[in-house]
Amino acid sequence: MDQGRIDSDAIIEMRHITKSFPGVVANNDISLSIRKGEIFALLGENGAGKSTLVSMLFGIYEPDSGEVYIRGEKTRISSPLEAVALDIGMVHQHFKLVSNYTVAENIILGKEPTKRLLGFIPYVDVKTANRQIKELSDRYRFNLEPTAVIEDLGVSEQQRVEILKMLYREAEILIFDEPTAMLTPQEISALLEVIKKLRDDGKTIILVTHKLEEIKQVADRCAVLNGGRLIDIFDIETTSTQLLAERMVGREISFEIDKSAAQFGEVILDVEKLTVCDEQKLEQIKGVSFKVHAGEIFAVAGVAGNGQIELADALAGLLPAKQGSVRLKQQDITAASVRKRSVGGLAYIPEDRHGVGLILDFSVADNMVSKAYFREPFSKGPVLQFREINRYADDLIRRYDIRCGQGSATQVRSLSGGNQQKIIVAREIDQDADLVIFVQPTRGLDVGATLSIRQRIIAERDKGKAVLLISLELDEVLACADTIGVMYGGEMTKIAPASELTRNEVGEYMMGVRR
Amino acid sequence: MKRPQAVNPGSQTKLGSQTRPKLGIIARIFYTERTRPLLIALLAILLSVIAISVLLVALGKNPLAALQGLLQGSGILPKPRYAGGKSMLSDFLGFLDAMTPMLFAALAVAIAFKAGLFNIGVSGQMLLAGFVTTVLVGYSGLDALIAKPLVLLIGFVVGGLLGAFVGILKARFNIHEVVSTIMFNYIVQFIVSFFIKSYYIDPVSRQSHLIDESARLTLINVSVGDITTRVPLCFLLAIVVAVVLYLLLKKTGLGFELRAVGTNKKAAHYAGIRSNRTIVTAMALSGCCAGLAGVTYYLGYFGSIEPASLTSVGFDSIAVALLGNSNPIACILASLLITILTYGSTYMSSIAGVSSYIAQLMVAIVLLFCACSAYLEFVVASRRSKDLETNESEGDDDR
Repeated sequence: MDQGRIDSDAIIEMRHITKSFPGVVANNDISLSIRKGEIFALLGENGAGKSTLVSMLFGIYEPDSGEVYIRGEKTRISSPLEAVALDIGMVHQHFKLVSNYTVAENIILGKEPTKRLLGFIPYVDVKTANRQIKELSDRYRFNLEPTAVIEDLGVSEQQRVEILKMLYREAEILIFDEPTAMLTPQEISALLEVIKKLRDDGKTIILVTHKLEEIKQVADRCAVLNGGRLIDIFDIETTSTQLLAERMVGREISFEIDKSAAQFGEVILDVEKLTVCDEQKLEQIKGVSFKVHAGEIFAVAGVAGNGQIELADALAGLLPAKQGSVRLKQQDITAASVRKRSVGGLAYIPEDRHGVGLILDFSVADNMVSKAYFREPFSKGPVLQFREINRYADDLIRRYDIRCGQGSATQVRSLSGGNQQKIIVAREIDQDADLVIFVQPTRGLDVGATLSIRQRIIAERDKGKAVLLISLELDEVLACADTIGVMYGGEMTKIAPASELTRNEVGEYMMGVRR
Repeated sequence: MKRPQAVNPGSQTKLGSQTRPKLGIIARIFYTERTRPLLIALLAILLSVIAISVLLVALGKNPLAALQGLLQGSGILPKPRYAGGKSMLSDFLGFLDAMTPMLFAALAVAIAFKAGLFNIGVSGQMLLAGFVTTVLVGYSGLDALIAKPLVLLIGFVVGGLLGAFVGILKARFNIHEVVSTIMFNYIVQFIVSFFIKSYYIDPVSRQSHLIDESARLTLINVSVGDITTRVPLCFLLAIVVAVVLYLLLKKTGLGFELRAVGTNKKAAHYAGIRSNRTIVTAMALSGCCAGLAGVTYYLGYFGSIEPASLTSVGFDSIAVALLGNSNPIACILASLLITILTYGSTYMSSIAGVSSYIAQLMVAIVLLFCACSAYLEFVVASRRSKDLETNESEGDDDR
């Protein structure tokens, strides 16, 4: 195909695509073709160049060199509008919805069915829109009410709205950028079914992901990217997961984590009958009690929305306790300020990296010291010591292998998700706190980064820290935990040593079948 | 897992500057992360000068003469002739006298902006500070060495208290600062008006009685050689305050907290910063600057207070702060520019035959273009990305 022959099946063909950003080549001479009616997966680690590649298909970026052919015709896609005109649709990882508009309003936005009042005053025909969208939704069993308001919907429903948006515009090529990063296991399998059905309806699907299981389940073919280069294209039927994983990371990998037996020390965290309300004054945690010892990983399992996030926020002091008590190293911290807890030995890696864990517009260095800027040696009196701060940040960047183009002065917003997470992990672990709370520490990270963070968690335990790990991924809980606590409906319904619980038992507690 | 994670070595090939073709060498040298706000501001000013010129040409006036008139009126260029006892120096000192409150007011807006707060009540805070000091010190007959520092101190404190109160309303009761400061503008305006009209009115000027010269922050009728001029005593103080605020924001822990709260309140809270206390501090500092603006305006530039009116300085300063990108040092330059337009317009009207309303229009045009700076930035950035590359990092999987 390099000689200019066009694959008659190919709906998209990319030839010698190269795209670079300051300091990096994101895509280096990538050529591939995608056939009509297939599910084509793009697999690669964070920063491998997958998103950049599909962004160029959707007109967000333009390639520095190389050519794109759509339906056999050479095309230049310089804006998303042009992409839409070519029947290309994209579901972004972070949804682009107007939160106080209804489902239907969001979908028709920019392509509203209009009628004319009295024959000349144009207005948006909401009724027709609602009906059309209801039909579309029913056809794919999306179960969406056109008049529901976006902010009342859950993540997976919002994602279905995004999918409907593409279908409403009769897109033929559907791009999904990390569609499962925010979903629970049940939602993921539902989404994968939808994707299959879309393919069976003749749509062409590009699935960007770093999750091997998903690719194994739905994709027909898969291109593996590594470091901006196309490594190979595989037929999924005939390729093993192990091989895909190896190609993705560029080395042999092992899914096992070495973990020695735990050596429990004294009680570090002692939570008693803790009751917490969220910002809407709803009781999210009801009388939860548990203890975490030094040298112990206490993993909290549970389906999303059962109070785990509130538990972490309450322990860190972001949400006030309504009843009960929290003790850290025998000290009552139930009413202590956030700062006092963090200085007193509590590190917290929050679920929401962008909104809570980081100040995206600040530099890497500023974020590294955001919990310690007021202390020696970073401050002398009221004056910040930038030389010390930068030296410290450079040190963490090196030790935690954080990739940032302009060193400690890089704006955090410009980093990839994995590197952003590494900044938080570096800052929190380097506090040398007695208790480290990890919430969803590996969400959205690739295999390599996930393994490295899990190793860090275990290393912290082996250093004699108490670790509270809150994760929605059962695999993560089972891989790391010494003790498992299951949360259901705001209560801790089961606490037991990890060795005494089977996977199925944990699942049953998570679903509330057992209690 | 024994293997350390060495994720695909050589993935992110560092490239030198040889990958940056095309764009002119000047742009390459000057357009950096650091200089971007300055260049965007300059671009906004350039565009507004062009727009103003078009306007003047359409009116049949000579834009160059008008521009020259502005600078001459501000004492930056020499006038062809001067009235008795006047010179370029006296024009320039008068110009600095007008610029002083503008700079203080702009700093008030800027520091609030940095903490994510919109202090739209600078005018009200100025008036209250001006009124309280006028009443307490302005007519007291105290010695100048005591009166002048006292005026500054009281103005500083009164403005700060009103600002802090707005901050407390926000922190404690979640009352948006825009709403409360607008309300305070009215409250202060009418209460002050009531007292002035009842007790302090000068029947001739229909303003409050002129304050004692000993309490005034501008020396008037100072003779230097054969000219008489006014001398703004607080201009240097305003520059010093700007530098202090710059250092405070950039180099201190408090500045870090302010910026953190202003950028991402949730993240600041998570990092253990007490955002409520920071908000009150920021509003108090903003009020202090507004108070200084008030005393330099009412007890410096004017010497009396007109009842039932708010000065436009407090509102123009919002635009000055925007033009200066909330950077205190840049605010010095921005207030210089805006004051040239406002102060120099009188002379321009007479010399170039341009109505002073047109001068106001010119200010509005400058502010309009400054308010578009985000758009300008976008245009420049997308032009650049067409030429070379965006400032984004590579393959950002999170978007």
